Amino acid sequence: MYAYIIRRLLMVIPVLFGVSIVIFFTLRVIPGDVAQTILGTSATEGSLAALRSKFQLDLPVYEQYFLWISGVVVGDFGVSMRTGAEILPEILSRFAITFELTLLAAFISWIIAIPLGIIAGVKRNTKTDFSVRIISLLGVSVPNFALATILILVLSLAFNYSPPVGYVGFFEDPLRNLQILFLPAFVLGTGMAGAVMRMTRSSILEILRQDFIRTIRAKGVKERVVIFNHAFKNAMIPILTIIGMQIGVLLGGTVIIEQIFSLPGLGQMVLTGINQRDFTVVQGAILFIAFVFVMINLLVDLLYSYLDPRITYK
Amino acid sequence: MKEFTQKIMEDKVGLIGLIGVLFVVILALLAPVIAPYAPDKMHTMNVMESPSSQFLFGTDEFGRDIFSRVVYGAQVSLQVGLIAVGIGAFFGLIFGLLAGFYQGKTDQVIMRVMDVFFAFPDILLALTIIAVLGPSLTNTMIAIGIVFTPVFTRLVRSAVLTIKENEYILNAKAVGVSNFKIIIKHIAPNVMAPFIVQITLALSGAILTEAGLSFLGLGVQPPNPSWGVMLNESRAYMEIAPWMMAFPVTAIIITIFCFNLLGDSLRDLLDPKLKQ
Amino acid sequence: MRNLKIFVILLAIAFMAFLAACSGDSGETDETNAETSEETNGEEESSETSSEEATGEQVLRIANDQEPAGLDPHITPAHSSVRVYSKIYSTLVRFDENMEITADLAEDWDWADDQTLVFQLREGVTFHNGDEVTAEDVVFSFERILDEETGSHIASYFSSVDSIEATDTYEVTFNLSSPDATLLTNFTNSSAAIINQSVLEENGDLQQVAVGTGPFKLEEWVPDNRVTLLKNEDYYMEGQPALDSVEYYTMVDEASRLSAIRTGEVDMTTLTAQSSELLQNEESINVMDYQTLEYSYVGFDMNHEILSDQNVRQALSLATNREGIADIVWNGQATVTGPIAPSMGEWSIDVTEHELYSNDLDKARQLLEEAGYPDGFEIEITTASTYDDMIDTAQILQQQWAEIGVEATIKQVEWAEYIDIWSNTSADVLVGRNGSGSDPDRAMNYFFNSEGSANVWGFADEAYDEIVLDGKTTIDQEERQEIYVEAQNHLLDLSPNLFLVSPMNYVAVRDTVENYQPYPHNAEYILDVTKK
Repeated sequence: MYAYIIRRLLMVIPVLFGVSIVIFFTLRVIPGDVAQTILGTSATEGSLAALRSKFQLDLPVYEQYFLWISGVVVGDFGVSMRTGAEILPEILSRFAITFELTLLAAFISWIIAIPLGIIAGVKRNTKTDFSVRIISLLGVSVPNFALATILILVLSLAFNYSPPVGYVGFFEDPLRNLQILFLPAFVLGTGMAGAVMRMTRSSILEILRQDFIRTIRAKGVKERVVIFNHAFKNAMIPILTIIGMQIGVLLGGTVIIEQIFSLPGLGQMVLTGINQRDFTVVQGAILFIAFVFVMINLLVDLLYSYLDPRITYK
Repeated sequence: MKEFTQKIMEDKVGLIGLIGVLFVVILALLAPVIAPYAPDKMHTMNVMESPSSQFLFGTDEFGRDIFSRVVYGAQVSLQVGLIAVGIGAFFGLIFGLLAGFYQGKTDQVIMRVMDVFFAFPDILLALTIIAVLGPSLTNTMIAIGIVFTPVFTRLVRSAVLTIKENEYILNAKAVGVSNFKIIIKHIAPNVMAPFIVQITLALSGAILTEAGLSFLGLGVQPPNPSWGVMLNESRAYMEIAPWMMAFPVTAIIITIFCFNLLGDSLRDLLDPKLKQ
Repeated sequence: MRNLKIFVILLAIAFMAFLAACSGDSGETDETNAETSEETNGEEESSETSSEEATGEQVLRIANDQEPAGLDPHITPAHSSVRVYSKIYSTLVRFDENMEITADLAEDWDWADDQTLVFQLREGVTFHNGDEVTAEDVVFSFERILDEETGSHIASYFSSVDSIEATDTYEVTFNLSSPDATLLTNFTNSSAAIINQSVLEENGDLQQVAVGTGPFKLEEWVPDNRVTLLKNEDYYMEGQPALDSVEYYTMVDEASRLSAIRTGEVDMTTLTAQSSELLQNEESINVMDYQTLEYSYVGFDMNHEILSDQNVRQALSLATNREGIADIVWNGQATVTGPIAPSMGEWSIDVTEHELYSNDLDKARQLLEEAGYPDGFEIEITTASTYDDMIDTAQILQQQWAEIGVEATIKQVEWAEYIDIWSNTSADVLVGRNGSGSDPDRAMNYFFNSEGSANVWGFADEAYDEIVLDGKTTIDQEERQEIYVEAQNHLLDLSPNLFLVSPMNYVAVRDTVENYQPYPHNAEYILDVTKK
């Protein structure tokens, strides 16, 4: 088991190197001179040259990459080209926000999706099943920025409510923090719920059809025991997988919601970075998100193999 | 195939999905016939009018007919969906078949590259690609296509791996049938089922992603009427002219909904594990 | 089976309770707001909407539509930054409410001759870190602005400055290389701020830190979220500022700003004409407007094969219905303009009667035919996705120009690329917005002199250059005005740009905010603002 974990961990390294290479060189072919856009419309030759040499933009690209990546390996993500601020602390504080938003959204989606999924699966092809499936599909079908805009408008008009402005961390003021994050998390959560529900439903279906369930049933075990003690437990594996995947997807998919709700998360950081051609920020933030994403997938895989004894660690 | 058609006719949910998808396709194909006006024609005397018999869905801030734009929007959104998914599916199929069939080094190289792309968050990858290529209809489709490639590659590869171990493939190999023939004749058709399901679902994903990119101003370019562009334009007027948002949103919801319905029931039908 | 139901129901209840808890909060906010708007004599309850702030504090909460790009006044022209650092730093002189120059850090100034300007500084003024402001600081600040390495966007404003000397502890002398009628006005620009040398040297740059002499001190900047400023207790203007602190919240989304001003989460925000119309009936919100110094324009690449022809440009000007743009893009709240915005008062000419503004399509077609394009031509319009008004303007132009056979496609790029395209003139046609500045020299010389630092169009006309140079060096006011009338007419004829409309801007303010008035030259003058 440990050998397996270590092997999997080692496999993460080349992936992250790949990500760093792809992102670094992709950013370098973006049209537009970085120095020019950062200095704006009144840049002079002198100031352009000064900025270029400050950020080694005058070196060959591969040398720039080497300088950057050798810093990253020892935890030095460099400074923002635009503001001169250290990048890593910024990434970490923003990650806290995006991650909390993601978890909250995931949590909301489970509350909606798992019970509905179980019901739909157990009552396959009944009216309940159909209505649950339709509701969950509707949730997936609404573009979340439209839902967010509609909610903001309706809540402010009908209830004179808007989420508080000015982000505060969970540990500073938990109640206010949750108030700020609830609406955006709800919007993200409803979008996610459909997928989780679908997976819950089909896993339950699959398991209820398996031989061991038939055997248990034949033995006269009560239905609820069958469902909770046996079916649900086994269905957890694929559900866990999709939850893990969802968290990963959400981590990078909060950009639009963060912008609408003015949340200073990682997505905003990347978007602003791209718009301002602040390459050091973009490459650092994306590499970090990729890192977290890969680690979450790894965790899910490990959990998967831990829960499902049929899988061996080869 | 007959059996399949029969089955989908029996599955009412799937049938609704299929009918809905066909409806949108017909709307898109017949847009010039159905739409009363050109989508970018500005009726400057009728700015932001509510729905009426002259303008079925009302007009937008330029006085453009929203009904015509929604109808033409079906064209644009479907085009984005089909081509983007087409790009992803095409490369996914090729890479997946190669990786799954040859395994070894080919597999290693392809899958590590896919891992790298898979590790990028979807929308951020699309954003970066569009920042490089510049925002346009074509580039939106390319960006979404690239984003989708790893998913298809993984899917095809794992399907190939499962099928490869089947006896008839092993037999074919043993009697010296060429690799190319084996892939085309035996493996590809068997990979199709999960592949088609994934395509249906990816289509809805692509349409939503395009809407999201348009929200950020990086998708299809105005005055081209994709539903995403319409939604984005309507946000500022949601209170004054709610119809500007209501109709494109409904169009997106119905379309995505039907694609998902269809995808869902296709999955049930095609998934051998669920066959009774 | 029954337990499953119970389980599900419990979950559902838990969820509803969670929802209820949150909407319950909204109910409370509701009440607090209602109370504040009713109880006119009540204490500062409005700040209670933010739950934890102490009552009695005078806190002004402003929604900022863009994140500040940085706080260095010398190199950051972005409006989202200017509105913040203009509260932190002071300039030598400033505009009063009538746009007359008045004392700020300098209490007096004097032209020794028409090439020597001497400022007397206020004595005893300190930076926020306690250092006293002396003539040396002024010299350091302007030498930094003029240094090429700095890349200051206002360097060209002071191009006539030959040398700066600290002639006494509190006396600074600017020696000019030529007479400059615009110089004093340029000192009022927020970017011509006096900075502290030791702070700059300690921090390397001034993007993250800000130590000035202004009415507010930088307390905290949380990126992509908020900037908090605190009152400078030692501010040299007696009794100012009235507020204890100002908080800027970055809210990019218009719908969010609209909702936040409605619920009282913020006290002040800028809005589009369309949104502000929605607030007209809200009792607790005042919507104020002012004519901006900005105008929208169409820029032509003067070296373009087709567009280099003056007839073509004039035809496009004739094909453009500027009122139509004002109606649709700005909801009718914009004025048709020439190169100098109407809010510049007597400097600007009345363009409505100008031949090229007549929207005479026959004349336009005729001009195209003379130019050799009887069937029109194809062209690409580039604009920035960041600003809705620019995209909308481009779409209308596309339609209007189609009337004379000009088939335009629109290319929307985001801001950074837009700036790049602008500076390299790599677009055929560019739609944008300019600030016409507070002196006509900016609108005319800066943008269109063949050597002008913002003349990216490749426009060069010797006669024009002579007129605007004349304008810059002529001190007599009336004479200057005549010169600029001539310059404007000359420019309209050549049409290197089409000048479209100058919009009104809107500020929505909660009625708890008192003594606030926006001005074209300073939309956010808040030194006298108090909160009920």
